[in-house]
Amino acid sequence: MHIDWFVFFAQIVNFLILVFLLKKFLYSRIIKAMENRENLIVSRFAEAETMKKEAAKSAALLEEKNKALAEKQEELVNQMVLSVEHQKKDLLEKARRDVDTVRERWQETMNREKDSFLQDLRQRAGIQIYSTVRRILKDMASADIEEQIVRVFIRQIENMDEKKRAIIKESMVKGGSGIIIQSSFPVSDPLRIIIRDTLKQHMGGTPEIQYEIADEIISGIELRACGHKLAWSINDYLETLEEDFAHALLEEARVKS
Amino acid sequence: MEVMAISQISPDQVVYWQWKFVTINATLVYTWLVMFILVFGSWLVTRRLSPTIHSSRWQNFLEVVVSGIKGEIDEVSKGEAGHYLPFIGTLFLFIALANLLAIVPGYVAPTASLTTTAALAICVFIAVPLYGIAKQGIGEYLKEYFRPTFIFFPFHVMGELSRTLALTVRLFGNIMSHEKVIAILLSVTPLFFPVAMQILGLLIGLIQAYIFSILAMVYIASATQVHAEHEK
Repeated sequence: MHIDWFVFFAQIVNFLILVFLLKKFLYSRIIKAMENRENLIVSRFAEAETMKKEAAKSAALLEEKNKALAEKQEELVNQMVLSVEHQKKDLLEKARRDVDTVRERWQETMNREKDSFLQDLRQRAGIQIYSTVRRILKDMASADIEEQIVRVFIRQIENMDEKKRAIIKESMVKGGSGIIIQSSFPVSDPLRIIIRDTLKQHMGGTPEIQYEIADEIISGIELRACGHKLAWSINDYLETLEEDFAHALLEEARVKS
Repeated sequence: MEVMAISQISPDQVVYWQWKFVTINATLVYTWLVMFILVFGSWLVTRRLSPTIHSSRWQNFLEVVVSGIKGEIDEVSKGEAGHYLPFIGTLFLFIALANLLAIVPGYVAPTASLTTTAALAICVFIAVPLYGIAKQGIGEYLKEYFRPTFIFFPFHVMGELSRTLALTVRLFGNIMSHEKVIAILLSVTPLFFPVAMQILGLLIGLIQAYIFSILAMVYIASATQVHAEHEK
C-alpha cells in the first residue's frame, strides 16, 4: 500500500479539471434552467393572478349587466303587460261597439222587415176584408159596399161638428179650386149626385167636385179642400189590427228569446 | 475478466504503461472513464435544456441530483450553496459514480486506490483554508488557529491533518475492503452471496460518497463560519 506520487498529482489535476468541466457543463446550466423555470412559473402565476382578477372583474361587470338587463326586461314586460291590457280593453270596446252596431243594424232590418210585413199584411187584409165584406153584403143584403161606404161618408158629412164644417166651408170659399174626392173605387154617377147634393145642402154653394182614384186608400173615400180633409176608410180598423198583430209578434219573440 | 488479482490490494498496482516516473495505471484509466461519463453525459443533457415546464427525463434527473446536492449544501452552509456547489458537488458525483460503476464487471473503482482518496482529501485540505481566507480574510482565518489560546495551535494543526487522513483512509478502506470481500466471496461461494454483497456495495458506495462530501462541506463551513459565530 503505497502512494504513487505521479498518479497522486494526476488525480488532483483530474479532479480540478472535472470541477471546471462540471461547473461549465452541469451546474451553471442546470441551475440557470431551473431559475428560468422558476421565473417562468412565477410569471405564469402572476399572469394567472392577473387573469383571475380580470376574470373576477369581468364576472362582476357581467353580473351587473345581467342585473341591469333583468331589470330592463322586467320593466319591458310590465310595459308590455300594460300595453296588452290597454289593447285588450280597446279591442273589447271596439268589439262591443261593433256588436252594438251589428245589433242596431239587425234591429233596424228587423224593424224594416216587420214594418214591411205589417204594411203588406194590412194591404192584403184590407183587400181581403173588403172583397169578403162586399161579397157578404151582396149575398146577404144585396147591398153594394161602395155604396155603403159612400153612405157612411155622407153620414159623416151630415154629422160633422159645426166647427169643422165652418173650417172646410171657409177653405172651400177661399180656395175656389173646388173639392177633390179620392176613393179606392170608381164612384158611380148616382152616388156622385148624392154626394153633390149633400155637400150643397151642408156646405152651401155649388162646389166643383173632382173625382180621383187613389190606390193607397184602402176601401175608403176622402174629401180634400184646400189642405183640409174629411175621410172614411177601413184604415182605422186595419191600424187596430196591425197594432194587435205587432203586439202579438213582439210577445212571441220575447217568449222565444 | 479480472483486472486486478486478489493479491493486488490497489488498482495502482495494475500498470498499463510506464515511462520513467510517468505511470498510466488502472486508477488513472478508470478515473478518466468516470470523468468522461460525467462530462459527456452532462454535455449531452445540458446542450438542449428546456426552460419550460416540459423537460426531458435526463434533464429532470440531473435537476433532481443537482438540486438535492444544493439542498444538502444549503443546510450545512446556511444558504451559501452557490459558492460550494462545484467543489462539493463534483466530489460527491465523482465518488458516487466511481463507486456505483463497481457493478460493471471488469471495472475497478479508482476510489479503491489510496492515491485517489489521498488526492481528494488533499483537495479538501487545500480548499478549506482557501474558502476560509476568501470568506474571512487571511488574518481572521489564521487567528482561528490560536483560539481560545495560542496553546491550541498545535491541536488545530493536528486536527486538520488527522481529519484529512481520516477522509483518505475511510473512503479507501471501505471501497478497497468491499472489493476484496467480493473477490474472496466469489472464490468461496460463487453464486448468490456475492450478488447480495454487490447490492450492499452499491449502498456503501453511495453512503461513502455522501459522507466524504458532507464532511468536506462541514470542514469548509466550520472554516468560514467560525468568525461569524464569534461575532454573534
